[in-house]
Amino acid sequence: MSTTVEVPVVKPVVPARRTKFLTNLWKVLRRKPSRMIGAFIVALFVVMGVIGPWLYPDNLPKSADLLAGPSLSHLLGTDFEGADVLAELVIGSRYVLTAAAVAALVTVVVGVAVGLYAGYRRGRPDSALMRITDFVLTIPGFPLLLVLTTVWKFDSALQMGLVLGLTGWGGLARSVRSQTLSLRERGFVEAARGLGLSTPHIVSRELLPNIAPYVAMNLLIGVTTFIYSQVGLFYLGVLPYNSTNWGVMIQLAVNNGVTQTGAGLSYLMAPLVAILLLTLGVVLLVDAMDEVFNPRLRED
Amino acid sequence: MLKFLRRLAGHVVRGLVMIWIVTTFTFVLVRLMPGDPVETQYETLLSKGMSPDQAKAQVAVTYGFVPHGSVWSQYGHYLWQLLHFDLGKSVRAQGVSVTTEVLSSAKWTIGLVLAGTLLSFLFGVVLGVIAAMRRNSHVGNGLSIVGSLLHGVPQYVMALILVTFLTVKFKLFSTGPVDGLLEPGLNGAYIASIVSHAVLPAVAFALSSFGGYLLSMKSSVVSVLGDDFILASELRGIRPSIIFRYVARNAILPLFTVLALSLGFMVGGAVFIENAFNYPGMGAMLIASIGQRDYSEMSGAFLLITMAVIIANICADMLYTVIDPRVRRGEGA
Repeated sequence: MSTTVEVPVVKPVVPARRTKFLTNLWKVLRRKPSRMIGAFIVALFVVMGVIGPWLYPDNLPKSADLLAGPSLSHLLGTDFEGADVLAELVIGSRYVLTAAAVAALVTVVVGVAVGLYAGYRRGRPDSALMRITDFVLTIPGFPLLLVLTTVWKFDSALQMGLVLGLTGWGGLARSVRSQTLSLRERGFVEAARGLGLSTPHIVSRELLPNIAPYVAMNLLIGVTTFIYSQVGLFYLGVLPYNSTNWGVMIQLAVNNGVTQTGAGLSYLMAPLVAILLLTLGVVLLVDAMDEVFNPRLRED
Repeated sequence: MLKFLRRLAGHVVRGLVMIWIVTTFTFVLVRLMPGDPVETQYETLLSKGMSPDQAKAQVAVTYGFVPHGSVWSQYGHYLWQLLHFDLGKSVRAQGVSVTTEVLSSAKWTIGLVLAGTLLSFLFGVVLGVIAAMRRNSHVGNGLSIVGSLLHGVPQYVMALILVTFLTVKFKLFSTGPVDGLLEPGLNGAYIASIVSHAVLPAVAFALSSFGGYLLSMKSSVVSVLGDDFILASELRGIRPSIIFRYVARNAILPLFTVLALSLGFMVGGAVFIENAFNYPGMGAMLIASIGQRDYSEMSGAFLLITMAVIIANICADMLYTVIDPRVRRGEGA
């Protein structure tokens, strides 16, 4: 389940201005068409999650054609009740993407805070925090989520995101700590300390900008893993559901015998392919991010 | 040697503390449960005409603690039972002890996970070496992209696609538990039935996890290829096949740790594959016990899954110190 990211070599970067970052990103994106495709896919999903659900009425019209294949009036076919699969896919994206975004935010805040503090202070707080981190890393995350569903219903995407984030920050905290440990011995950090700059200044102006690229890439990959686990929870049917999301779609498709009979294949495949597409987009985009943040990889 | 033993002892103590925390967690969870399952079973038994004492004893057997009394005495009783490997009785399968249930499904999962992991390890390592050797050609690039994509695909997507296309559309394999009518043992029909049921889950497992091995093997080989001793042996004119052996030996070291760690995680991580293929393992058991609110079985399964991870962690760390003499880490690293 866990996604590991190789820790890139940390190099000091001068905190760049935002406009420079954006022009850099644009340049790097244009260098390879695959990166443009990746950025486009990710942007498409974000737009779909934000404005998509407003395009459809609360109660989807049901056609008499059950589990139909793709046609002009229903681009992705219909489900077992005759509702349009494309509409469900779009409506369902909001829960999934919101929960993943919240989870990624929680992971970044907790992981970076713990990692920075432990790595910069060292000594006793460090070993205490790392014990906790080891514990979080060792507890098998998905089975834990399964067990938690018995007391927690995850009604809103916020709750789902919070729990996913709180069980998933271990890896990030550990690698931020090891990067901080190596950064704090560097000349520029030592110079800042020698100048008598305050600890908040050193942490926010000297350390954070150097860790940010790694955190950003981790965030992107983290979003996909969080999507997998929550869709997985709904797919397994251990959670009651009161709204549509991709996991519920997969579960209902399996329960309605799509894998047994093969009827309504597009109903089952739509959420699966959506997940695959999003993964592809993220993989392609991470490749571009790598180059923006890592000047050594730049070709010019 | 003494250092090794001290390290091992430290790991074991930490592992035991973690197991203690997890058992406490499941104990609290069962007590927090809406509608208090312990109380509910007690009430049901009373309404079935049992005497309060009998009902109390019956509940104590199921959950490992008595329904009434202070939380502390319940907790003490529960831990005492656990020390004797007594996880209580299953509610779903009346009268069967959870330990037996858990162990019988663990047997299926371990078979599946071992086959799947070894398969993906072999494929991942071989393809990873190829991807590293040819990293500037189309073959290498293609392998890396396929690797990171497959690494990213969740197991249930892989499993569902395989189920739908291979068992339903083309009927190549069968799913579900092994035929109950066949005599278990070393006879041909039974083995054939196991193979026909287990091949597809194992393949699904291997397909969704070999990407990770491929990527780590590739980066490991690339970093070894840059080492001075490789350049030196090339300059001395040593045959490529022997150089390849040098590279492989050094590059595969970090992979063994990954292998040990993933074996631990996979006991609980095969949930989706078992579910999609209707395979009677630990993951399927955990889901079923949650679905039917069988809390004693649920905590037993969760405990075993966590223990597998903890043991694998200890093994990985110890293995690393044994096979790589360069790793002599100090305290608290």
